[in-house]
Amino acid sequence: MDLRLTPDQKDLLTAINGLVAPFQAKPIDFHGFALVSNELEQQLEAAEFFDIAATPGLGSVGAALAVERIARLPYAAEVALSMLVRPHVLTEWPRPFALVENGRPGRFVASAKTLLIANGETFSVALARPDAVQSVESIYGYPMAKLVSPLEGKPLSAQQASDARKWLRVALAAEAAGLIQAALEATVAHLSVRKQFGRPLGTFQALRHRLAECAVLAGGVKWLALKAASTGDEGDAALAAFHAQDSATRVAYDMHQMLGAMGMTLEHPLHLWTYRLKALLSDLGGRGAQAHAVARHCFT
Amino acid sequence: MDFAWDEQQAAFRSTVRDFLAANLPAGWERIAHGPGSEAQTQFSKDFCAKLAKTGLLVPHWPARWGGRDADPWISFILAEEMWAVGEPRGGQYMNVNWIGPTLMKFGSKAQQDRYIPPMAQGDTLWCQGFSEPEAGSDLASLRTRAEKHGASYKINGQKIWTSYAGAADTCFLLARTAPGKNGISIFLVPMATPGITVRNIPSIIGEGDIHEVFFDDVEVPETAILGGEGEAWNIVRTALSLERVGIPRFALAWRMLDRVVAALKKADRFSSAACIDAARARAACEVARLYSYQIVDQRRHGTPTGPEASAARVATVSCERLVADFVVEHQPDALAGGDPMLLAHHQRAIVAGIASGAAEIQLNLVASELLGLPREPR
Repeated sequence: MDLRLTPDQKDLLTAINGLVAPFQAKPIDFHGFALVSNELEQQLEAAEFFDIAATPGLGSVGAALAVERIARLPYAAEVALSMLVRPHVLTEWPRPFALVENGRPGRFVASAKTLLIANGETFSVALARPDAVQSVESIYGYPMAKLVSPLEGKPLSAQQASDARKWLRVALAAEAAGLIQAALEATVAHLSVRKQFGRPLGTFQALRHRLAECAVLAGGVKWLALKAASTGDEGDAALAAFHAQDSATRVAYDMHQMLGAMGMTLEHPLHLWTYRLKALLSDLGGRGAQAHAVARHCFT
Repeated sequence: MDFAWDEQQAAFRSTVRDFLAANLPAGWERIAHGPGSEAQTQFSKDFCAKLAKTGLLVPHWPARWGGRDADPWISFILAEEMWAVGEPRGGQYMNVNWIGPTLMKFGSKAQQDRYIPPMAQGDTLWCQGFSEPEAGSDLASLRTRAEKHGASYKINGQKIWTSYAGAADTCFLLARTAPGKNGISIFLVPMATPGITVRNIPSIIGEGDIHEVFFDDVEVPETAILGGEGEAWNIVRTALSLERVGIPRFALAWRMLDRVVAALKKADRFSSAACIDAARARAACEVARLYSYQIVDQRRHGTPTGPEASAARVATVSCERLVADFVVEHQPDALAGGDPMLLAHHQRAIVAGIASGAAEIQLNLVASELLGLPREPR
């Protein structure tokens, strides 16, 4: 048991921090939902960050740390599946990836080169075709699209499907950890400067305690994600995804409550993180499905 | 970052489990129900003496005091295994975790020679004279006073909520020797000293657990003071930093959750609703565990413990609550003649946010120190 980051993992975070620095702020004139950047995507690709999990000394924990860090940006990028699912299940397929679950709209579906198609318990993988997908207007904070014509997919074996589901859970948890953390930081910033009754909102205990509870949840989501990435255990992955989805519902609501009307504007970036969190809530069958997986793998 | 146990840690855990399997009697879970009861106090004395003989009571203490300088992971694994079965060490866990180490750091030679060996042999019980009727979370406002008369102090005042006071041999007592926060001193007071009266407070948390302790002209020699006059605040801060992660409460919660889920599955009563509640409780236990492990890991590497310790406490309270509620809802006979260990857990869980200080104080610390929010006006 050693919960410190290795020197390699620390170096990785330093490198990512440097790379994402120009993408830390939402452009002032952007008043939309799906904020993406080709430049960010290209830089991550050029720096070979999508191969972190396969890099000795970094591994899946390094990949989860990277996913968490990048998810804190106001920009959405397809990193979670590329960094955490691809190395285990989709090594032969080109990125970016998108998950199409039971025919409903999914994030990055329009820009993905490879689609992971889930129908009930089965998975297939297909190369995307522009004519087979259609963008969907959404406030989810990701570019959303749906599959409009069936694709010839390559079915995954039961073992591959199980691995895919496991690593999708880890990816979901790592991404949620970053989104929650970013929303939390934005809320702290607001409560620290916004004054009412002559003092900062953050001095009022009703808000302090509520935000502190959110912070503990946020840290917990990250810990469970890192542990699941480290062990690659089915139970750890299910627990991490469950806790991420369970915490996201509470945190997203509380953050909006605390930012008040400011958090309702498209000028403030809060919605970029909270509505991405909402998009993750229903992934992989939602909390109910994760809870059944926890029951299967953790309570034996 | 590595979440796996190394060989030595795994072997130590097995040793502790083997010891427990061999030394916990069949009726132990009924005894566990009264943490301050006569039955548990006697049981714990015998049990701790056996632990001491096997080298499992104070492995993390220096060899000079009967330990073997084991690292913080070893003492935490020990604490987890003990708490997971209902803490058969009873109140002696305090000696092991912080009273002994605090005396090693701040005690005079005479104090160390007198008090540490019986702790290392598992032969003595202490109580902690901190809270008072008017001083709980605001501990610095305590009123019990110690006045110097020649070479002795005369102590007058009242403590309350004192665990194990009915059976304790010695009290780690906070008393005022001067006004203000820096006027508080620590006295090591034998409970048999004339002028001390102990009254048990009947409670929902188990037999013989909490007490009022009255001090009426209790005379102690000046050598009973720990450190020096006015040193209490610094010493207690250090003592509490030894105890920052506190009791690994998640370990018993975890085991009780597993026990109830197994029973529900067996009876085909593990509904979808129960399944979601169980997953939530299990996640909370794992979160509390990982937060606690983070602190142990920091200690292991000599890193100063930060506000994560407060987050660990908040996470622990949350897991205790979720598991206790799960048990009451899905295995209601736990509080009505059912499994005595589920009752014992419930009684421990219900005080998780209160014992050793209100959890709200920790929420404030998380807000200020972890999040950096501006402090409340005072």
